[in-house]
Amino acid sequence: MHIPDGYLSPATCGLFGAVMIPIWTVASKAVRKTLSVRQVPYLAIGAAFSFVIMMFNVPLPGGSSGHAVGGVLVAILIGPWAACIAVTVALVIQALLFGDGGITALGANCFNMAFVLPFVGYYVYKLISLNSPPGSSRRIIAAGAGAYAGICLAALCAGIEFGLQPLLYHTANGQALYSPYGLNVAVPAMVIGHLLVFGWVEVIVTALVVKYLQKQNSVFFEGDRL
Amino acid sequence: MSNALNKKRDFIEPSILSALAFLKDATLSEEYANRKGFLQSLDPRLKTLSFLAFLVTAISLKSAVLIGTLYGFCFIFAILSRIPVRHFLVRTLLFIPLFSLFMVLPTLFSIVTPGEPVCSFHVLGLNGIITRPGLDGAVLFVVRIATSVSLVVLLSLTTRHSELLKVLRVLGVPQLFVLTISMCFRYLYLFATMVENIFTAIKSRVGVVSHHRHGQNVVAWNLANTWNRTTQMSEEVYMAMLSRGYTGEPRLLRVFHATLKDWVWLCCALIICAGLFYRGQIL
Repeated sequence: MHIPDGYLSPATCGLFGAVMIPIWTVASKAVRKTLSVRQVPYLAIGAAFSFVIMMFNVPLPGGSSGHAVGGVLVAILIGPWAACIAVTVALVIQALLFGDGGITALGANCFNMAFVLPFVGYYVYKLISLNSPPGSSRRIIAAGAGAYAGICLAALCAGIEFGLQPLLYHTANGQALYSPYGLNVAVPAMVIGHLLVFGWVEVIVTALVVKYLQKQNSVFFEGDRL
Repeated sequence: MSNALNKKRDFIEPSILSALAFLKDATLSEEYANRKGFLQSLDPRLKTLSFLAFLVTAISLKSAVLIGTLYGFCFIFAILSRIPVRHFLVRTLLFIPLFSLFMVLPTLFSIVTPGEPVCSFHVLGLNGIITRPGLDGAVLFVVRIATSVSLVVLLSLTTRHSELLKVLRVLGVPQLFVLTISMCFRYLYLFATMVENIFTAIKSRVGVVSHHRHGQNVVAWNLANTWNRTTQMSEEVYMAMLSRGYTGEPRLLRVFHATLKDWVWLCCALIICAGLFYRGQIL
């Protein structure tokens, strides 16, 4: 789902950068309000954890494998605003230090994976888990459902961003200047792949990690997060 | 079970290898950043600004020839900065541009991009027609991606990670983000080492994990365990930061000093960008 540089037009990149600035500002304020300097390592752990999740290949039936983004899992563990910062940090490190993902497309990538993914996933999780006890299996199901909803909606956003490029940016003879496929191709390509494969990778990772953390230390699921 | 099948089913090996390759790559990047080369000698702030200007130019231009010219500059900068050509080409061409090339292949044909035919052929009874807009669009797309990736990789290879993080602060990125990024980067090594140790322990006891469900459980248990252990270390990390004199503002031992050479470089970079934009308007 990482959008590299050159897939989106400068205007699209600028638009998503502008959209993300107030989101990052609110996230910083929300995190500062409840997180002391003492707890900054906790935020960095969330970011590193998100990064590590993306490195893990999860085995799938038939011998193939895929990797999860982990945004919903991080949101469940440290809250959606803190997850927004954590996933943003993971994406910045990937783009800037490892050359993976885009610098100009950072706003769009963060919108999809650091905003839509954790927030949709977290609130679906909250809606389904309601006030169930920290160790209940309902929370595992809620985490899986949240992860699935979050990743599929983020993929839909990425598909729309790709699909709008040839409609908005082309030469007089119809030559696409950026991502070449329209909405009729880009949206199904992104959404179907995530509905059928990558969504389930996200479900497996999120639900199983929640299950194991419940067994090891269910304090992670007590109370509301940021 | 054959070796090939074993290899296919053993998810541990690829996971560890990819994680280690990632970190090894990061270490190598620092190795190149420490070499005495042209880009390494520049002030990181002005170098980052110039590369951002190149990047914006690369994604704004509408001519593959002009973007290719920018790629040519990248290649020259890489050589002047003592980056091995093979390493540079592998890093910049093998992954994202190659994927983009495969992705864009169908747009070559008239069925996706109608227009003036360039050539046609028959394969297995099917008639394929490559069109001019399809070909031009695909070339432009792939050259743009390759150039963008090259610029980012070149910046990353020739700048120490700690300096890049300091540049973020200088460019106005809030302290919370910069601090989290720098700490996260250190945690990555710790996480990867922990995961590697756990996987090695599992492999030494059970060998190949042959069923995907077992493999999924191992991955999830590892992630849960990693989270659990590192959150417990959070307090210790903070105390260690305090003991080293941490006051809330990250500091670098090296202080940036822009010299005349750095300003000349920035001017040259901006002139190159302006020149390419001007040519782009004419073409």
